[in-house]
Amino acid sequence: MSAVVAPPSTSGWATAVLPFVLALVAAGIVLAVAGHNPFDVYRLLAVESFGGTKRIAATLSAATPLILTGLATAVAFRAGAFNVGVEGCVYIGGLAAAYVGFTFVDLPAPVLIPLALAAGFVAGSLWMLVPGVLKARLDVDEVVTTLMLNFIAISFTAYLVNGPLLAPGSANSATPMVVDAARLPRLMPPSTLNIGFLIAMALLALYWLWSNRTALGFETRIAGMNARFASASGINVPSLVIKMMLLSGAIGGLAGAIHALGSVGRFVAGFSPGYGFTGIAVALLGRGTPVGIFLAAILFGALATSGATIQLFSDVPIEIVNILQGMVMIFAVARFGWIFARRRTAA
Amino acid sequence: MIDNIIHAAIVMTTPVLLAALGGLVNRVGGLVNIGLDSMMLAGALIGLMLASQTGSWPSALAGAALVGGLLGLLMSLCVTRLQADEIIVGLGFNIAVAGLVRFFLKSAYGSSGTLSLPDVARLPKIDIPGIADVPLLGAIVSGHDPLTWAAWILVPVTAWFLKETRAGLRLRAAGAAPQAARALGLSPLNIRDASTVFAGAMSGLAGAFLSIGVVGIFNEGITAGRGFIALAAFYFGRNRPWLTAACALLFGFFDAFQIRLQGRGVPAELVQTLPYAMVIVVLTAMALSARRRKLRGA
Repeated sequence: MSAVVAPPSTSGWATAVLPFVLALVAAGIVLAVAGHNPFDVYRLLAVESFGGTKRIAATLSAATPLILTGLATAVAFRAGAFNVGVEGCVYIGGLAAAYVGFTFVDLPAPVLIPLALAAGFVAGSLWMLVPGVLKARLDVDEVVTTLMLNFIAISFTAYLVNGPLLAPGSANSATPMVVDAARLPRLMPPSTLNIGFLIAMALLALYWLWSNRTALGFETRIAGMNARFASASGINVPSLVIKMMLLSGAIGGLAGAIHALGSVGRFVAGFSPGYGFTGIAVALLGRGTPVGIFLAAILFGALATSGATIQLFSDVPIEIVNILQGMVMIFAVARFGWIFARRRTAA
Repeated sequence: MIDNIIHAAIVMTTPVLLAALGGLVNRVGGLVNIGLDSMMLAGALIGLMLASQTGSWPSALAGAALVGGLLGLLMSLCVTRLQADEIIVGLGFNIAVAGLVRFFLKSAYGSSGTLSLPDVARLPKIDIPGIADVPLLGAIVSGHDPLTWAAWILVPVTAWFLKETRAGLRLRAAGAAPQAARALGLSPLNIRDASTVFAGAMSGLAGAFLSIGVVGIFNEGITAGRGFIALAAFYFGRNRPWLTAACALLFGFFDAFQIRLQGRGVPAELVQTLPYAMVIVVLTAMALSARRRKLRGA
């Protein structure tokens, strides 16, 4: 499997916006066929996402895990590794954080919260150790290994919350609730927006600094663009790939931890509504840049919150959001140059 | 008891085997199809709807194969003509088609997730007189439906096709040496498209097998990730039809066991992880042996 994804370039607003416009058109056709007026639906989505402080807070809250999963994907992309296993890291990291949150109940919040977040961070990172090492040392295709690890993570955590970690007296597959001290402080109650959003923003800023201002960031970019050139320039590419896979997993684990401590309050089976996969769309649409990732995460966060609301108030199924998301992924990697130029010599 | 497990295992093998053979041909043609699961899901839905409307299982299968093939074609065109990354397009198809299917269920039937229709024509079971009652043998060859037979007959046919026919050679050339294929006047892109259409059609059939062969209703989780298990099977089988079929059978046994083990204290969730874990182990073993060979050669 050729998993080499060219590091996304920053060139051109048009190429960044086009995938979303095309997805809107395609989903608009679906809406029209189903008997809805696409323009009305989209206007409603926009109002529900950004019309008023409360709604903006809800959008930012929904965007928080997506900023992190998008960042996790982008970090691995930079090093030339295509990590499709962020979804699994969200599960593992979420479970680890929830475990700390309902186990060490006597610790005060200033100790417990960092500890629980760190647990998610470390667990997510360790989850990517095997594919990272396999990719770097043995050239085992990371797409396949990380994809398979997603299913293992989902089933394994489902086993844990149905058995050893099942909340006493609970029939549904969930851990006990974390203690209040482990809940992330909310920024604008009653909105679920919490300090996880600030953490995500801080990481985005660090990512910008790292990729533009540090030697490691530069080396990673070179390794992602041309591994042979990087090796020839004395960069240790395998070690770089392992580091970036671990970092990618750690950020994915942190996304799960923030989701567990900030929104859900515990770990449940079916914990993530595909945050890891949406993260791929976010990273692609955002072209791997900090600003792009932020905007793309806001976009998908807005779709997720407003999609839920419009399902309540109109009969448009929330799945329109999934349709849009899948289409954005497809259009984000398609090249439309052939429409204008004569077909280039492919294959 | 043993007979029951064997019979169930063969039933659970069929969808994986169908999709895996499609994915195998697709991969030999140069495209790794991550979207098999989406084509399976679409095939399962269309198969059930047609089986209810027409009351004929062959037309249900034809419709499922058609829809799967159509999705395959769309996906292939994104990859071959718009030069999109096959992995991302595949993931995108899985997300978009799952969304479309649920959107359609809610819009058309007002149902969330499950669709149960009247008068569904189920796949017939072929009982072989005389053998049906023989222990073991009866469970293996008797009481299966035409699609299961077709899947197993396709194993040697695929092997023969890839190895012995001109079209098979061209397919392999399109995947392994597209430049050479081009130089010979072939169009590797068209060949690749054809192989993806085939993979889609096979996945569509696999989906219809689940809906009108096994359960008789449609559920949004009906594929249970079998498209990815199929991916595991042909990765595992290293593009060899018989090895791939053996893996599909192994996964079928896991599936049958897991159903048996439910409620007996053995966590089904852990059994479910086995196919995926095995792929990682096998890929690692393959890479290790490749490196050892390279070191010896150097």
